[in-house]
Amino acid sequence: MSGLRRCLFGLSLLVAVGSAAAYTVNTVIPQSGGCPVRTRFNTASPINRRWSTSLPAPPVLYTVASPGTADQINEVQQVILTAFAAWTGVSGTLLNAVTYPSALAPLGQTATATACSDDSGGNLTGNDTICFNQASQAFTPGVLAFTRVFVASAPGQTLGSTTSAFAGQILQADVLVRNDGTVSFATPGALGSHPEAYDLETVLIHELGHFFGLEHSPVWRAIMAPFAPAPGTFLPPRPSPQTPDAPLREDDRTGLRVLYPDPLDTAHTGTILGRVLPANLLSLAAVPAPAAGQFVSGLFGAHVVAVDADTGEVVAGAIAGWSCPVPSAVPVFDGSYRLERLPLGRNYNLFVEPLDGAIPPAMLGGNVLSPCSTSSPTPCQSPPPATNFVVRPRSSS
Amino acid sequence: MMRKNFAGVSSVLGLMLALPLARPGRATTLARLSLPQLAASSKLVVRARCLGRNSRWQQGEIWTFTRFTALEFLKGSGPAVFTVRTLGGRVNGIVSVVDGIPVFEPGEEAILFLTPTARGDYGLVGWSQGSFRIARGADGVERVTQDAAAVPVYDPARRRFVLAGVARMPLEQFRVLLRAALQGPAQ
Repeated sequence: MSGLRRCLFGLSLLVAVGSAAAYTVNTVIPQSGGCPVRTRFNTASPINRRWSTSLPAPPVLYTVASPGTADQINEVQQVILTAFAAWTGVSGTLLNAVTYPSALAPLGQTATATACSDDSGGNLTGNDTICFNQASQAFTPGVLAFTRVFVASAPGQTLGSTTSAFAGQILQADVLVRNDGTVSFATPGALGSHPEAYDLETVLIHELGHFFGLEHSPVWRAIMAPFAPAPGTFLPPRPSPQTPDAPLREDDRTGLRVLYPDPLDTAHTGTILGRVLPANLLSLAAVPAPAAGQFVSGLFGAHVVAVDADTGEVVAGAIAGWSCPVPSAVPVFDGSYRLERLPLGRNYNLFVEPLDGAIPPAMLGGNVLSPCSTSSPTPCQSPPPATNFVVRPRSSS
Repeated sequence: MMRKNFAGVSSVLGLMLALPLARPGRATTLARLSLPQLAASSKLVVRARCLGRNSRWQQGEIWTFTRFTALEFLKGSGPAVFTVRTLGGRVNGIVSVVDGIPVFEPGEEAILFLTPTARGDYGLVGWSQGSFRIARGADGVERVTQDAAAVPVYDPARRRFVLAGVARMPLEQFRVLLRAALQGPAQ
């Protein structure tokens, strides 16, 4: 594929719509093999939520209230609730607090010393927890917080008290905020007086995006972009009771809608799909067959982004390369991309970009760029990503 | 309407000593680390080749243990064969998903920024920020790409994809930057 200097951009617009996102969702390849499936909670029952109330001593966490008081507990809990509300404020999802007020169980507290992880084996509680007081070997320099999500790759997998109903089900998610004293966090009320601290609200909203199944977004200013704002700062606007999801970008909202689509939603049902093809289709013949009886019929690994033509805001993004016409089938490497859950009635510009880094496909987007399972009964090998092409527009809407 | 936009995708490689090594990784909130900060935070900076990896449960977590053979120590010294511990992985029917953690394949070479763990192995400093893959191009030149700089990012303000961080930089050029980073104060 390295010799490709040009490609045609084969596009079939089913619906021209638009408003927001280059989200990436976490996926898991089912244990039985086949195409990757999205990871998400089973919303058939409320998602449990806990947080550890054993707050660390300052200067790790700053609040407006005096450290260690009931006010401090309440203040931190309010930030947690606000962070959840940012995501449950997104319309058109099964998590929306207005349409589905029981989607999330009431926020609880836990005094379990190992509710999230302390590297001592006590964290398999089945509770989905936020912890400010637990260490992990994973906290190397530069890591402020992380979310570890346990996902079932097949039905019937049990973790704690939860058994999976489907492949891709999140069984437990824990958010760990660094507390070794090397960095500090501040609630919004205290951030102004602690310029050395990171904004706790921003960090938690981001981590809860992972909690619900989103990966990092390659869109600057999306809440799911991986880097925190500099200490003492935050990305405006702050949430409000009227607009609890204000800190999110359209990119973030679309990602959640894709994971938890509300069947009653009629406003975000647009889809843009198409294929990215080389100008010289014969060049694909040189690409090794991904599986027995298969051949590559499109470019693999092009980054496609839809941008609202009026606002310039990113609407959606996807990695082009393959499709799964039959559930659990080996992917078909046909250059396909699909942008879903887009608001209707808008115009979009599409941008296409080769992945021209030196990173192997498995690193670029997890299973998104490595959709072949090594343990599948029908093994396949992903083609090399297209790293060297230019775009020649061919059609428009 | 469609539009192409590829200007500016080529390198933004200068000023690496002063600028943070931006770029996505995956499931984490990261603090941006400049190259001097990465170097200062690392006990070991080593060029290494991946020998293999496996994932297993260890005290309530799924960890992935990746073995490397050291090819060249650029800061500090360590064993000829060492293990890097990273959170997450797959064991039977359970997958532990942690975004931002690099995954290495046997035979891959990288420059790794490492910190020792309490368990006798090593952790990657800044996760995706502390791994720089080495690839030899068709021209025979070795180039390095930081994991966190692997994917072009769309900048809505400029309406274009941009690259930041170390991406496809000739290895020798990276060595010069690294030497300066190791000698200078962290910023």
